[in-house]
Amino acid sequence: MVSGALVFQSLVLGVLLGGLYALLAAGLTLYFGVMRVVMIAHSAFLILAAYLAWYFHRETGLDPLLSLPITVPLFFACGVAIQRLLLARLRPATRTMMSVLLTFSIALVIEGALGTVFTGTQRRLQLPYSGASLELFGARVAVVKLAAFAMAAAAMLALYLVMTRTRFGHALRATIQHPEAAQLVGIQTARVAGYGFGLGLATAAIGGTALALDSTIYPSLHWRWIGPLMAIIVVGGLGSVVGTAIAAMVLGMAMSLLQIPLGTTWAQTVFYLALFATLAVRPQGFFGGRLAKRF
Amino acid sequence: MKPANRIQRGMVAAVAVVAIAWSGGCGRKSGTSSKDPILIGISLPLTGDFSEPGKGIQRGYEAWAKVVNDGGGLLGRQVKLKFLDDQSSADRVVSDYEQLIGKDKADLVFGPFSTRLVVPAARVAEEYGMLFVEPAGAAKQVFEQGFKNLFYAAPAVATDHYNHLAKYLLALPEGTRPRTAAYAAMDDPFAKGTAYGLKAKLEAGGIKTVVDEVYPPNTTDFSSIAAKIAASKADIVVGGSQYQDGVNLIIALQQLSYQPKVAAFSTAPTEPEFAKAVGNKTEGILAPTGYTPLGKFPSNVEFVQKYTAQFNGPPSEDEANGYTTGQVVAAAVKAVGCVEQGPCQKKLVDWLHANPVDTVVGPLKWDDKGRPQGAHMIQQWVGGKILIVLPENLKEAEMVFPKPAW
Amino acid sequence: MPSGSEPRRSAPALRPILRLAAIAVGAALILSFPAIAGNPYMVTVGIGILNYAVLATAWNFVGGFTGYISLGHGALSGLGAYATALLVTVAGLPSFAALLVAAALVAALAIPIGAAALRVRGASFVIVSIALVLILVLVFQSWESLTGGSRGLVVPRPFPALHRAEHHRVFFFLFAGLLALALAAWWLIDRSRFGLGLKAIREDEDKSEALGIPTFTYKLVVFVVSAALTALGGGLYALWFGDLDPVFQFSVLNGSTVVLMALLGGVRHLFGPMLGALVVGAGLEYAKLEYGDTPLHLVATGLVLGVVVMVMPDGVIPALSSLVRRLFGPREASIREVTAAELLEGRRRAPPPPPEPAPPRDDAAEVSR
Repeated sequence: MVSGALVFQSLVLGVLLGGLYALLAAGLTLYFGVMRVVMIAHSAFLILAAYLAWYFHRETGLDPLLSLPITVPLFFACGVAIQRLLLARLRPATRTMMSVLLTFSIALVIEGALGTVFTGTQRRLQLPYSGASLELFGARVAVVKLAAFAMAAAAMLALYLVMTRTRFGHALRATIQHPEAAQLVGIQTARVAGYGFGLGLATAAIGGTALALDSTIYPSLHWRWIGPLMAIIVVGGLGSVVGTAIAAMVLGMAMSLLQIPLGTTWAQTVFYLALFATLAVRPQGFFGGRLAKRF
Repeated sequence: MKPANRIQRGMVAAVAVVAIAWSGGCGRKSGTSSKDPILIGISLPLTGDFSEPGKGIQRGYEAWAKVVNDGGGLLGRQVKLKFLDDQSSADRVVSDYEQLIGKDKADLVFGPFSTRLVVPAARVAEEYGMLFVEPAGAAKQVFEQGFKNLFYAAPAVATDHYNHLAKYLLALPEGTRPRTAAYAAMDDPFAKGTAYGLKAKLEAGGIKTVVDEVYPPNTTDFSSIAAKIAASKADIVVGGSQYQDGVNLIIALQQLSYQPKVAAFSTAPTEPEFAKAVGNKTEGILAPTGYTPLGKFPSNVEFVQKYTAQFNGPPSEDEANGYTTGQVVAAAVKAVGCVEQGPCQKKLVDWLHANPVDTVVGPLKWDDKGRPQGAHMIQQWVGGKILIVLPENLKEAEMVFPKPAW
Repeated sequence: MPSGSEPRRSAPALRPILRLAAIAVGAALILSFPAIAGNPYMVTVGIGILNYAVLATAWNFVGGFTGYISLGHGALSGLGAYATALLVTVAGLPSFAALLVAAALVAALAIPIGAAALRVRGASFVIVSIALVLILVLVFQSWESLTGGSRGLVVPRPFPALHRAEHHRVFFFLFAGLLALALAAWWLIDRSRFGLGLKAIREDEDKSEALGIPTFTYKLVVFVVSAALTALGGGLYALWFGDLDPVFQFSVLNGSTVVLMALLGGVRHLFGPMLGALVVGAGLEYAKLEYGDTPLHLVATGLVLGVVVMVMPDGVIPALSSLVRRLFGPREASIREVTAAELLEGRRRAPPPPPEPAPPRDDAAEVSR
């Protein structure tokens, strides 16, 4: 028997979840737009950021959000390094396939390193406000979920401002739209691509920290995320951040609502079904507009 | 392909084959001379889903080995434990026991943690004719596989863990008795077994089931299950959990301010890190247990003392299960007088089928399928400590009912 | 004068004989392994490696011929395993009949899957292949009434009377047989026009399409063949191992270890994946024996994969052979028959020829040229 309260509760949860997914997937679509690279290691970096947040909190006792000034620049630098030193060296002809394997190997190294350093024991941030909740029009909203959503919203807003209001953002969007034309106009696409990658990984730092607030983390957790995130970027349109955000909200809410009749596990299949449907019906994605490409 | 390449490839292959065969062929022989240490092979989930309880069992085994060795060893020989990490994976546990029995020629094997891992491991041991005493395979399917060498080293099987609680709840007067119950169980034979054992008895007693959810082991997000339970406003919530999933479900329920009258979870509340993990909001949470450190059995007093000295803290149920396994095997070995692979193992099996053993959880005896014939106790978090509240004759504190708000 | 661009000649009659001899030695070594191995545990290690070899060779139908890197073959082997298991436990078929029926079912299923996946290229193909594995984990975990969920599915032994050690030996030979089948199939395709068409797709798909090769049909056919062999491997594993768990059967990590093995050994060669399976499988097993199961294996696997991709995407053995040849083999001559130094010497000694008188500029002749 499904009550209206339960549906509303799930809707609220879905919105919060969708917002978080949007941030987590934004980086993934950026990498793709910039270099046509499927960055499988993105979710591994998310988990790495989550572990760093947890470790920071455990060692210093401070709120994990205070670790962001350290992790964000660190991840940005990492992203630039990966793009310039590794991905740019692949032969362009087979770059897409080889980048899959290369980023996959990075993901394995990260997972193995996390397992070695922190062991496979499941970890959870124990914050004083972990169990607290607020009442919102009859639905109970956990404070940590709200905080994660707020972080995601702030980060997406910042990303939007960077992409639309700064010169670098314009250069990045030009590179995503048409690298050759961008070069002709004088944009240093190689450098911009590097910074674009760094930007993507910086969003991973924020996203991972947001994830850590209300999740249990363990080294192989990234497998649970890579599927839904890849589905989101395909449904939204590869290369389009706006498309990704919309797809994330839609799929997040769909999953949350489907959990009522189907249970958590079956509800997760909605991501994959949406992925297959998109590739069958409209391979360039639904929400990306002119920016989305068929790959 | 050029012949040179083909020959190179062939040579690489030959070298690799010979290298593996040679490295694998060297191993010890079982049952060697009387002054060599006795090798006991164990595979445990030291990483992965079952790592918390797995490490607990490891500490129990180590405590047992130290006590035995300090006391002169088993049959005059020191015991040596060899641990392999099966990473909570059923595939690995099988190859681990194949390695321990086939290559390392262990004289004895102890069981791993969790029913999911115990069944495939027991099959390996059974087919090589080894005695298999295990600390943690309690679900009924363990005993339905036709194993003849298996013994479970704890007082009762999974479905009987909550028997005392069921009796208590059904004995409450009509007005105060809870009327509805919500069940959330991990898709694991043990965890689900405990929850469903209680469910069967409560349903038979007229308590309605309003939520019945089963989740896979690697589930970490319980917001939707918690939302369903909270929306149902069930009087009782029963969690068939291991460790982290129990913690996560409880936190999710706290986040929704759901206040049940009875909250019972298996395994999680008995782990050392539990209180901190749920923000110390533990008052009233119930858990079944086969063991209490305050138990007065003679070997228990010694166990608690020596364990606390070795590990800086009292033992809990997992450690006790490990220790009990050691005690059971040691008793058989001492009585029969042999310890090696081969016909000796059958003698150990026969002896255990015929004789009870005194352990830290009391005297244990088994039926022909390896099921112990005792009962579990019910613990509750009262005043920041976890204490026995049922059955009446063993209780350390009064049962708190209904459960106070988180 | 012999030119450097001609292949080194050895006695022509010797090459097929050497080839056959090498294969015979290899086969003899494999078949005698259960006898050399000291204990049943080593036989299980051998089975594990043979299983990897079968999966890697089966994968190589798609990866080696068409160049499509599929990380989703774990889905196919898992489906083969569960199909076999369910046909035995639920439908009551005898074990090996179940195995063949299961492989046929998976091959049939591979037609729509392949049709959908192969419509897209590059990045989307990889995403689809991974997504397939991940969705199957979810489905098989949730559908516990059918598949046993995370409690596992027990598969009865095909030969219940056999002692465990014997059981391992028999399956070792069964896996060796399956490997031989896969190798034979690969060899046949390699030599055929079909194989030639596939390799054209690998080199440049659009141009092959323009040349009239029915690229989609070819890709689909080879995908179905690959799926059938992979399913046979998975099903045989289910019959041997006896206990199926969705997380282990549908594993992207397993699938990509297989890819690593194929890459390492060399995707363009018949025995490449098998050799890669031997090296990586033996390496993993050795590391496990010496150091126990630690997450460092993941780090090592990741590093090896990364190095292979960056430095030697054609495989270790071809890279090593060319390195060895460069360092120790006879110096290969350049296209020019003399070195630049000798040419300079020769020019210094002989006077330069007088420059030719420039031909009269003839616009008409220029235009007509």
